Amino acid sequence: MGAVAGHSDEVVSITQARVGATGGALRWSLGLGVLGLLATAVFYFAGGPSQHATVLAGYLVAFVYWLGIAVTATIWNAIFHASAAKWMVVLRRVLEGIGASLPVFVLLFLPILLGMSTLFPWARPSSAMSAEELELLTHKAPYLNVPWFLIRAAIYFAVWLLVSDRLRRWSLKQDEVGGLEPTRHMRRLGAGSLPFLALTITFAGFDWLMSVDPFWISTIFGVYYFAGSFLSCMSLVAVVIALNQGNTTGLGGAVTRHHLYNVGKLMLAFTAFWTYCAFSQFMLIWIANIPEEAAWYVVRMKGGWAGVGIFLIVANFFIPFFTLLSRELKFRPRALAVVALWLMGVHYVDIYWLIMPALFPAGAQPHLAHLAALVGVGGVAVATALWRAKGHFAIPVKDPNLSYSLRYTQA
Amino acid sequence: MSEVSLAQIEKDTVATMSETTWRYWLALGIALSLVALGGWAWSVALRQGLGITGLNEPVMWGALITTFVFFIGVSHSGTLVSAILFFTRSPLRAAIGRSAEAMTVFTIMTAGLYPIVHIGRSWLFFFVLPYPNQRQLWMNFRSPLTWDVFAITSYVTVSMLFLYMGMLPDLALLARQVKSWRRPLYRVLSLGFSGTDGEWRIFEKAYPIFAGVVIPLAVSVHSVVSWDFAMTVMPGWHSAIFAPYFVAGAIFSGIAVAVLLLSGLRRGYHLERYITPKHFDMLAKLLLAMSLVMTFVYATEFFMAFYRGSKAEMEVFRWRATGTYAPVFWGVVISNSVAPLALFWSRARNHLPTLITISVLVTVGMWFERFLFIVTTLARSFVSQNWGNYIPSWKESFICLGGFGWFLMLFLIFIKLFPCMAISESMQSQHAVDAAVTPEASHA
Repeated sequence: MGAVAGHSDEVVSITQARVGATGGALRWSLGLGVLGLLATAVFYFAGGPSQHATVLAGYLVAFVYWLGIAVTATIWNAIFHASAAKWMVVLRRVLEGIGASLPVFVLLFLPILLGMSTLFPWARPSSAMSAEELELLTHKAPYLNVPWFLIRAAIYFAVWLLVSDRLRRWSLKQDEVGGLEPTRHMRRLGAGSLPFLALTITFAGFDWLMSVDPFWISTIFGVYYFAGSFLSCMSLVAVVIALNQGNTTGLGGAVTRHHLYNVGKLMLAFTAFWTYCAFSQFMLIWIANIPEEAAWYVVRMKGGWAGVGIFLIVANFFIPFFTLLSRELKFRPRALAVVALWLMGVHYVDIYWLIMPALFPAGAQPHLAHLAALVGVGGVAVATALWRAKGHFAIPVKDPNLSYSLRYTQA
Repeated sequence: MSEVSLAQIEKDTVATMSETTWRYWLALGIALSLVALGGWAWSVALRQGLGITGLNEPVMWGALITTFVFFIGVSHSGTLVSAILFFTRSPLRAAIGRSAEAMTVFTIMTAGLYPIVHIGRSWLFFFVLPYPNQRQLWMNFRSPLTWDVFAITSYVTVSMLFLYMGMLPDLALLARQVKSWRRPLYRVLSLGFSGTDGEWRIFEKAYPIFAGVVIPLAVSVHSVVSWDFAMTVMPGWHSAIFAPYFVAGAIFSGIAVAVLLLSGLRRGYHLERYITPKHFDMLAKLLLAMSLVMTFVYATEFFMAFYRGSKAEMEVFRWRATGTYAPVFWGVVISNSVAPLALFWSRARNHLPTLITISVLVTVGMWFERFLFIVTTLARSFVSQNWGNYIPSWKESFICLGGFGWFLMLFLIFIKLFPCMAISESMQSQHAVDAAVTPEASHA
């Protein structure tokens, strides 16, 4: 953690640091990632059809979990550009870095593509379904069909890759040429891309999460998925800050407790936002009690899942919200990182809780493959981000607002 | 702005209270005429009953409830914008925060009238309050309509306190400066605030608490209003996204009204030095962002109507876009979703007539948007034998127009009695404004 970077020689040492010595971290994350993915594959091929479903569902959970964080990093970045935020310039590389992991998710999408008929009931209407269900699926077929699903996935990835890549490229270009031109481009793109980012993330939520139960709908579902991912992404930023705390150069030297405080405030705000979405969805469905909607919650309020639901309320709202209210905590990198890790963990449980009851109505059936998939997808994503960050500056060294950001203090 | 002296700020603000131009009288005259018109129409409704409105089976909620929802919506962005600008330490707050907060208080005071008009026997309005009574009769605590009563009364209380508290230092200042019948008024209202270090320390501690409380309150109030609709199982109303959708719509309409009020104030009192293009640029950007959110929700709702597969729901949405109210629907799409897109261009944002035109469109558009979703659902719900259209009667429309006059009247009286800009805060943020306006990259 840098003190206030006032002295010019200190600024020089901060602005000359490139991301280099990530060799260890890169090797570790890549190793763990590959190992995790291999283990997932072994679990898949070693078991019978029921194990296929378990492993694939676990993989889907891990995939949408990490993907959500990577996409929302781009959304955060676009929002900061659109609102011309200056305080966060020193943190921009972190967001760009997380977003830079997106290309690997195209590859990681393949298992889901291949396992579609296992994961999504609409892809294999069976005779076990009731007449009403089949009729409903026929009605939804113009949207829920395999080719259109794939085209949509391609559109989502195209938007995410394009936006994250363009934003990152302009930012890196600014490191070379400096000046206002790249800033102007990034702000324009940031503002202009937000509608598309919002549409794609919500519809990805509908497609990849909600359609696991094709008979259920909630208009807020996409926003709910976004809210959780958005929160986890900011939490990851807090973790990255804490990991860089020892360095006096680069990110560690540039980020002060004042930036950290803002990160903490955003975490607090979006903890409340997640809860707001969750409550809106639950309360309306519970109180209206229409069978077509309530069924989704009935499964999640019975048996083993009831405990998970209560856990989510306590762990994703009460604990982090009241902890984050503390002003002192938000100034302390380690303490904030602990809360951040907690939130990221709970977000995984949240995604798990969204997907798994469709397969296991009786209760959670944790499987080692779920952990393997989580580590696998995460490891590969982190490795990609680190690999792409290598050799670049840890902060945007020629950003016109950098000096403001370095000296940023809470009023 | 840097050449403005502190004495000048004070002088200009006091001028808004003491100098009364023909523009002011004109605006007040319009407001009072509307109030008179609305008051007369309401008196007819009180004497003859709600039969004078267009309300009838199956559409029992119409223009009056629309106006209620609309004004609650407008009230939101006032406090919300002011409190958020406070927490983001924005130097833009000093000039516009006060008017925004006043707008909030007066719009809730207007909104609150409409359910009272709508219940018909308005003199029994106190039935909505839980008080011990011999009949052992209580309201339905599970009804969001009851929650509304609590939410709105808490909101109006806290908003007033927030407005009043922010005004304390200014009132103390005025009590020392102004010499007229106003002096005793300010002296009493300033509660003896004399500007000592100790008082400021307490003030600066207390104010953020109010600002912090008012944000969740604002969000919760409009969420509860949305649940008046969403908690039913009606097609087109029962939708989980309704709460954030209402809050977004509220901020959207509120910003549009704030633009109109501020441009009026600026013109009427030559406040060009304080309410600057930068303020309007910020409001325009917010308006654009909210417009996009609204478009997003409209699209989601239509998609979900199909995806849900409920025939009643699909019919409501199909009919909304193609049926009797189709012109209203497309008008709303143009005013709320298409017109604000012009604000993507900085030239439109910085051209005040364009911004005002868009704000008028959005204000009118948001009223009709609320009207549309309330009426189309009731007119086209599950049973086709129970379908029927609704057109507000003339007298009903007058009552609604009266609300606009009532709000304008309250606001106009307010700016005569109290400073419409935060004087002390303007002084504090003088340096901050200078710093914020100059950096090269801020205009990119």
